Amino acid sequence: MSPAKTGKAKIARNGEVVVSFKDAFLVHMVCGLGLAVAFWFAHNVYAVNLVSDPAQTLNLIWVIECPIVVILYSLFRWNPDQCSFLKAAMRGLLGLPAGAILNTFGAVVLGAPVGSQYMKRTVNWSILMSLFTVVPAASVFGTSWKDWHRLFAYSKPTGVLDYMICIPAHGAAIGAWFGAWPMPLDWERPWQEWPICVTYGAVAGYLAGMVVSLGFTVIYGGRQQHVKGD
Amino acid sequence: MVGSSTRKWELIWPVFFILILHCVAILLFTRGFLLTRTELSSFSHCSDVLHSPCFPHQSEDLSTSSSSSPSINLSMTDRLEVGDRDGRCWTKPAVDRLVIVLLDALRFDFVAPSTFFDEKMPWMDKLQVLQKLASDERSSARIFKAIADPPTTSLQRLKGLTTGGLPTFIDVGNSFGAPAIVEDNLINQLVRNGKRVHMMGDDTWLQLFPNHFEKSYPFPSFNVKDLDTVDNGCIEHLFPSLYRDDWDVLIAHFLGVDHAGHIFGVESTPMIEKLEQYNVILEKVIKELRNQSGPGGLHENTFLLVMGDHGQTLNGDHGGGAVEEVETSLFAMSLKEPPATVPSEFDTSTCKLDSNGKKTCVSSIQQLDFAVTIAALLGVPFPFGSIGRVNPELYALSAGTWNQPTINATNCINWSNLEEWMQTYVNVLCVNSWQVKRYIDEYSASSVIGFPSEDLLRIAGIYAQAQDKWSDIVNNSFLSGKDIQDKRFDTSLCTLRELIDAYSEFLESVAELARSKWTEFDTKMMGVGLGIFLVSLFIHFVFIMRATKLHQVSFPTIGDSRISLRLIFALSMVAIRACSVLSNSYILAEGKVASFLLVTTGIFNLRYSFMNKKMFMEAVVFLLLISILRFTIEIGLSKNAVGTVLLTGGQVALNIIAEIVPILTLILLGYLLYTTIPGNSCWRILSYLLLTGTLISYMLIALHWTLESDMFGKPLVFEGIGRNFAPQLIYAIGFGLLILLVFAQVFMPQKGSINSGEILVIKTVAMLFVWSSTVIILLGRQGPLVSLGSIIGGWCIIRLHNSDLDQNHSSVGALTTNPLPVVQWYLLAVCLFFSTGHWCAFDGLRYGAAFIGFDEFILVRQAVLLTIDTFGVSHILPIFGLPFLVSLQNSRFQNKQVKRILLVKLLQVFLIYGLITAMTTMFTVICVTIQRRHLMVWGLFAPKYVFDVVGLILTDVLICLASLYYFCQIEDDTPQDTVMKK
Repeated sequence: MSPAKTGKAKIARNGEVVVSFKDAFLVHMVCGLGLAVAFWFAHNVYAVNLVSDPAQTLNLIWVIECPIVVILYSLFRWNPDQCSFLKAAMRGLLGLPAGAILNTFGAVVLGAPVGSQYMKRTVNWSILMSLFTVVPAASVFGTSWKDWHRLFAYSKPTGVLDYMICIPAHGAAIGAWFGAWPMPLDWERPWQEWPICVTYGAVAGYLAGMVVSLGFTVIYGGRQQHVKGD
Repeated sequence: MVGSSTRKWELIWPVFFILILHCVAILLFTRGFLLTRTELSSFSHCSDVLHSPCFPHQSEDLSTSSSSSPSINLSMTDRLEVGDRDGRCWTKPAVDRLVIVLLDALRFDFVAPSTFFDEKMPWMDKLQVLQKLASDERSSARIFKAIADPPTTSLQRLKGLTTGGLPTFIDVGNSFGAPAIVEDNLINQLVRNGKRVHMMGDDTWLQLFPNHFEKSYPFPSFNVKDLDTVDNGCIEHLFPSLYRDDWDVLIAHFLGVDHAGHIFGVESTPMIEKLEQYNVILEKVIKELRNQSGPGGLHENTFLLVMGDHGQTLNGDHGGGAVEEVETSLFAMSLKEPPATVPSEFDTSTCKLDSNGKKTCVSSIQQLDFAVTIAALLGVPFPFGSIGRVNPELYALSAGTWNQPTINATNCINWSNLEEWMQTYVNVLCVNSWQVKRYIDEYSASSVIGFPSEDLLRIAGIYAQAQDKWSDIVNNSFLSGKDIQDKRFDTSLCTLRELIDAYSEFLESVAELARSKWTEFDTKMMGVGLGIFLVSLFIHFVFIMRATKLHQVSFPTIGDSRISLRLIFALSMVAIRACSVLSNSYILAEGKVASFLLVTTGIFNLRYSFMNKKMFMEAVVFLLLISILRFTIEIGLSKNAVGTVLLTGGQVALNIIAEIVPILTLILLGYLLYTTIPGNSCWRILSYLLLTGTLISYMLIALHWTLESDMFGKPLVFEGIGRNFAPQLIYAIGFGLLILLVFAQVFMPQKGSINSGEILVIKTVAMLFVWSSTVIILLGRQGPLVSLGSIIGGWCIIRLHNSDLDQNHSSVGALTTNPLPVVQWYLLAVCLFFSTGHWCAFDGLRYGAAFIGFDEFILVRQAVLLTIDTFGVSHILPIFGLPFLVSLQNSRFQNKQVKRILLVKLLQVFLIYGLITAMTTMFTVICVTIQRRHLMVWGLFAPKYVFDVVGLILTDVLICLASLYYFCQIEDDTPQDTVMKK
């Protein structure tokens, strides 16, 4: 893990904000691998998985994924001259609980069960969702309202970095939305519990979003083109 | 004026056309799908049998035959009369006591030996004790394949088993909500005739027979995940009962197999464990019975039945008409061994060697025949509505049907047992046929939708034939008497057989006719209905397009017809909601699905307001509101599942809050009304009346609730009057104001100065508040909160909608109506339906609401109140509130052109709303068509269908009324138009 990270850091320092396809690919690769490692870790070391103990598994996943995401995206922070790496990382870490609150609110409004037995799961799930959605943007853009607006209200990413942040985040949210669908079905499967299938959906959406963002990167590469994403 | 009204009609005729189309389509479909049967309230009595032709000389011969020596009476009639004097009723009691062990969802292959099937599965041959008895003691024990009729749900099956009829989805009877059986039935006959019935197990029995059992030990059946509570309760009470003599009929209803099937499926360890447990229990039961079956023992002449009420599929589902679901088993055993087995020609059994190499026979019986056979065995009158036939094999199992206890038996030794039995059986069949004929006649006479007359004629013919044969034999035997007994000996077997065949033919054709009428769907009719429905949807769409065109004719500047993202979004929301009704799980969670989709649109809005940097507050408020609604929906759903809610609450503070909050909300509502209404000048008197009327209604509501609550202890002298007086007055005021409002349309003063949008707003507000008081009092204390919620929700939708209108189209009334707010409006209405504690099942109706203000039951009045309660907040208010969506946005424009655009837009909104409702209903219809053999069809899909269809028709009617009401403006408008042109 660590050699890849440091290698990336060197490359990233060279470019300003314009990110090459290789960088984007590496970032997504490492994020995806981080998820896989987290799942593997939970399964083999702690002997839990999403079905048997969702709260702890989610906890493990976000604990492992969090430094990866924060460090990687902090490397691509906006205005690297005026904003130190540490500051960007701090922004990312502050974005984590803020995003978690937003995600919790969204989930509860959409129908996530509330109650003491679900509390831990919901908290852990929303932190993970926050990692997928809010934290990268927080690390990169900080409090730049204009950029947030562009990415999340208009969904009009411009440039590779925007794709990298915007598309997986939307993918995770939409994936989680679809992931909630099987929950009311009467199949009596353990994975229909909140938030297991929603997590699966979110992860799948996130990964798909990565692939799509890479696709966009390939197509629109270095050019700063106006692309309407969904 | 003529011209104006044609212009009005030109606008709104599509609404009426669609109403008619929907009515036709639904009528046709319903005729094919919803089978109905009328419950008759007649009961069989012991004495009825005197009117039957089976006792032709009853009245005149009663004295003579009784005085003459019984030893020479060999005719069947006389023997019956002898029996009569023994104190029996329709038939001679053949068994003394009956033990029914009912194992819910007992598949046929649980009981029958595995050699009867192609493949031995793990769940077979588990009830070894029954198989062993059936093969060892073939004359007294037998396994039957019992064939049930759909719907194969426990409640319907118990009803079918005890009434001997074919319960349909809607048994039109006088039970208003409660499932208790009002028809004549076996249990009722047992109780009437002095049998003591004890029951233990599934509490469904108590729902059906609330006060029939002398002793009952009910256990809750709703928790499917609980495999053992009911069974353990049964076991606990069953064994002690076997030693007691305080019962005649004992029913033990075990649920474990049903629950194990529902949760784990048939091929699972819990299921096999359950079956093994049952084997042990049954072994013990039979041992206990046997121990006491000696002469003079407690169970000397006891009859044991081990049976299922329906089968189940491998997944453990049941309800439909699949082979696995309708085939259940029945094991019957008589503790007193009959002297012979049933004659071969009546024997339907197939015999095979079982796995131990012993011969086992399995017969077949219709569940329809159960009630009448048991009634015949116990000697009680047959249930009035039974159309079954006394099953010869089951009947012959009891020794009591063989040994004639009277002197006859000793007198005619040369009669074989067999003939004697057949004689008895013919007698029973005669009574049986007479009773079925009587039922059919009475049913055709009293039911609106009876049987086709040609079928009735044919059946009457068959009956007459059989009866002729009967009287021939009877007359012969009377004329001949003892002298030609030898001759009879030769012929009797043959004639008896013919007679039995004739009666059986009659009974079978009746059953066939009844089945075709009560259990088979008319697919052709359903198809036609569905087709018309589809066409109506298409026409609906065309009408919307036409409205758009009208719109563009009057305002040709805008030709923008690009399909926007938001149109697709709105369409996909409707599509998801429509498709969700295809699955039973989503129907169960319908409220959640609706709120999920509504929140999704809300988030979409939030994103827009985020984008445009305005109306942010509204979007958030909207989301918060829905999340509150969502919790109330969940409370409603849990009520649906569990029964009654928590909230018994001992805290005084909580109670006081619960009392006061609604009243405070009511005051707030009144204030809202006060601030909205007097904004105009032209309707002064009217608005004054409206205001006072509604405010008085609100005060009355508050008064009513205060009186009802026990906050002030037992209060006030006029309680008795006040309780009914206040609601009645509220209804009256509401009705009066409604009439006033409608008449005001006609005589409304013409004022050109007021712009049309404002008038529309005022009209809408007036209409809503006129309805509000009635709806609120019917909804109870949640009413004001729900109304406030809907007002806030509606307001948010309008504001959000207006914001993006202003943003995107600065020109007047640009483009066609945006469907998104209409979709939101619709979803909000659906959410409100569920959050007010309703759900799409008949037990989801709040029957209590029908009796607010009235004590006695009058069908029409109570039905109207119930409809207003059920659909008030989800159909009536939203539809009358729809004009807000168009009226508020254009309030700043004044000219005539705008007025017309406004109306066209209003029409469009109405049409779109109707289309959304129709689309959802359409999918429900498709769903019940596809799933008509599904296990949940009667439990879930059919109620949903009824609710949706009623909702759709109501929506259409309301849209028609609303358009009549709101479109009055054109009439007021046109004369001015012409004047101005001049």
